[in-house]
Amino acid sequence: MFVKILLKYILGYVRISVEGYYIERFINICTNNKIMIWNIKKEKNAKIYLNIGTNDFREIISIAKKVKCKVKIIKKKGLPFLLHRYKKRKIFLGFLLIIVILIGISSNFVWNIEIQTEGNQEFENIYQDLENSGLKTGKLKSAIDTKEIVNKVRLKRDDIAWMGIELKGTNAVVKLVKADKKPEIVDENEYCNIVSEKAGVITKINAQNGTAAVKVGDTVNVGTVLINGWMEGKYTGIRYVHAQGEIEAKVWYTKQTKIPYNITERSDTGNEEVSYGIKFNNFKINLPKGVSKFKIYDTIEEEKKIKLFSDFYLPISVIKITNKEVKEEQKTYNIEEATNLGIQQLEEELDKEIEDKSKIVNKNINTYEKEDGVEVYVTYEVTQQIGTNEKIVY
Amino acid sequence: MKKKKISKIEKMLEIPEEVYSNTPKIIITGFDQMIIENFKSILEYEEFYIRISTYIGIININGYNLNLETMTNDDLKVTGKIDSFDIERISDE
Repeated sequence: MFVKILLKYILGYVRISVEGYYIERFINICTNNKIMIWNIKKEKNAKIYLNIGTNDFREIISIAKKVKCKVKIIKKKGLPFLLHRYKKRKIFLGFLLIIVILIGISSNFVWNIEIQTEGNQEFENIYQDLENSGLKTGKLKSAIDTKEIVNKVRLKRDDIAWMGIELKGTNAVVKLVKADKKPEIVDENEYCNIVSEKAGVITKINAQNGTAAVKVGDTVNVGTVLINGWMEGKYTGIRYVHAQGEIEAKVWYTKQTKIPYNITERSDTGNEEVSYGIKFNNFKINLPKGVSKFKIYDTIEEEKKIKLFSDFYLPISVIKITNKEVKEEQKTYNIEEATNLGIQQLEEELDKEIEDKSKIVNKNINTYEKEDGVEVYVTYEVTQQIGTNEKIVY
Repeated sequence: MKKKKISKIEKMLEIPEEVYSNTPKIIITGFDQMIIENFKSILEYEEFYIRISTYIGIININGYNLNLETMTNDDLKVTGKIDSFDIERISDE
């Protein structure tokens, strides 16, 4: 029944009032003629309201004449009448059409590039590499050859183990798996030297294969040969080998910073101002908010792309601009406070750099007082393996 | 009204009676809705009283705000606050 009414809605129906004495007869004749009428409501003694399809209306009038009833149209409903009303609103219709066409056209482009990685792997400049290889926002979907782009990007970068591009709606999903950077492996059979990779003082050297080139207590620089890849025999002469051995050296890590006595410290006051803007691809419109009422503030811009469905991104994005008020405070340190602060900062930085804490032999802190601040030097002494293989080039 | 003879095949196939004969079927959902299948005609229609004739008798519905929703040539849906309804048999004897 519901389907029938829906069909009538599409074809159009009218609500009419029928007034007369033989209303029951009128209804019976209608049903006998297989005319569908619905929502019949009696109002007064001799008046009913009912809905009827437009195609049956002529028949109804002839029936009404037969039973001497008056017919009056109250409301016209349905799609044909609705369309008829919108025929006059040509501009509205035109814009509706334009919007539909625009959405249709824009669905053929890529408007968003989403990068999915496993865990928290980070890829530097991946967007730029993708753009150079041909995947960028605003490009025709049919013009994107995913295989070619994958090949190009993989040629350019050596930190990608696997890469896949999937076009979902207007969204291009790039899946990446990071490859571990392999150290350059020198083949066992090839001749090589052992070279220092850090500057330091040798504390222990043990050449298992090859000839030691430095002694304990020698200072070495980056690139100094530690174990030569040749051996000298009394009878055999010089013979090249794959150098092997253990070299430990004291290495110094030094960090330096300067802490001024007078510091302006910035801190949030918690006050915020929010304004919005709209961005069409690269064209930005800021909705006016005027000048910020804060004296000093940080501006944070957040961009959010509008999407119709889960994957249908539109080239329109809403920008949320948040102004956070910032308080500036003058702070003065005395010498002791400044040095402590500097040491703390540097130690944190160094701790991040040195993974194996047990290898730290010595800590050395130097401070120099200057006119406007304290210069702090923190040096860590670490014993470390410093040798790496290097091929012998003849 | 002469009762139709029910053939044995139809009885065996368990076809519902209202499909092959003119016997009306009345369905009342809640107290506000009533569907009558296989009706013949409407005898009287007021806001508080509806009298419907079927092939085996007459159904009287009392209530108020009674509407005739969705009417086709053999289905009828009455909505509104139904107070009572009764049946007048047409006696064959």
